[in-house]
Amino acid sequence: MEFQAIHDRLKAQGAPGLLGFDEPRPANKKEKDPGRAGMPFVTVDHTQLVEFLRVCRDDDKLALDILVDLTASDPSADSEELWILIQLLSLKHRHRLAIKAPLPKAAATVASATAIYRAAQWHERECAEMYGITFEGNPDPRHILLPDDWEGYPLRKDYEFPREYHGISCE
Amino acid sequence: MGLLEEAFEENVLTTKVDWLINWARLNSIWPMTFGLACCAIEMMAVGAAHHDLDRFGAGAFRASPRQADLMIVAGTVNFKMGERVKRLYDQMPHPKYVIAMGACATGGGPYYKYGYTVMKGVDRIIPVDVYIAGCPPRPEALLEGLMKLQEKIKRTPVIRRPARTA
Repeated sequence: MEFQAIHDRLKAQGAPGLLGFDEPRPANKKEKDPGRAGMPFVTVDHTQLVEFLRVCRDDDKLALDILVDLTASDPSADSEELWILIQLLSLKHRHRLAIKAPLPKAAATVASATAIYRAAQWHERECAEMYGITFEGNPDPRHILLPDDWEGYPLRKDYEFPREYHGISCE
Repeated sequence: MGLLEEAFEENVLTTKVDWLINWARLNSIWPMTFGLACCAIEMMAVGAAHHDLDRFGAGAFRASPRQADLMIVAGTVNFKMGERVKRLYDQMPHPKYVIAMGACATGGGPYYKYGYTVMKGVDRIIPVDVYIAGCPPRPEALLEGLMKLQEKIKRTPVIRRPARTA
């Protein structure tokens, strides 16, 4: 299915938390719109993300059975929110779906997607240490890349670089 | 060979202990099997047939630090790895040598400014004998570095410590 058909199917199925969608568009000089490249995505309420993913996986027409990627993004230091970004793939129908779930920086907690896609586990651990997002229900919430005692969330835009680590200067 | 020449039977050589021990050391620098990033690919190329590290007696990559003489830090050292590198270095028996191969091991390389977990040079935790420039260095550069290390070993007194001047 094409993106629009996937979106309509999600809407018809009453997928929980579906907020809307966004598609790439060319730049428009008259309206001073810089345009957007990339792929179309659906926006989802982060509190209902797991239920939404369950519909994506279990619906016959969608059958998005593979989690290609789960990551996050911090749009800017001034932004109040972080984005969780998910890519799904259906091997059966050969279509993809990109999902964006904004969540507030002040309370960056979301239910773990491991209940639906077990592959999400390592991705969530990386998101957790890099962006400070708590994934409730992740079976192994340790750090995955950084040392266990690392402080701060390096991929947040307001991150301050450490001056030393275990007595080794970083200057 | 001086006065002692011809004083013994055939097949007897006379030499200095310093020279003999250094000759043995510098022609059997066994490195540790240990690569951290893309420099390790070049290091493997040096070990393979085309460049042939065995010509220098340094092709016997040891799987244990306890059997190794040389640590080639081939790649990016981050803080998490750095503590392991230090531990491996401490486990090596004396005399031990370190080559910092490439920009990362020398001074952080391309991660110098924005690499929040990258150590800005492995010499912050262990003493380095030879630095090799390049990103990654060509195999010839590593061979050159090894030859520089051999020159350094050749100059090292074994029996008598050099007189220290202030």
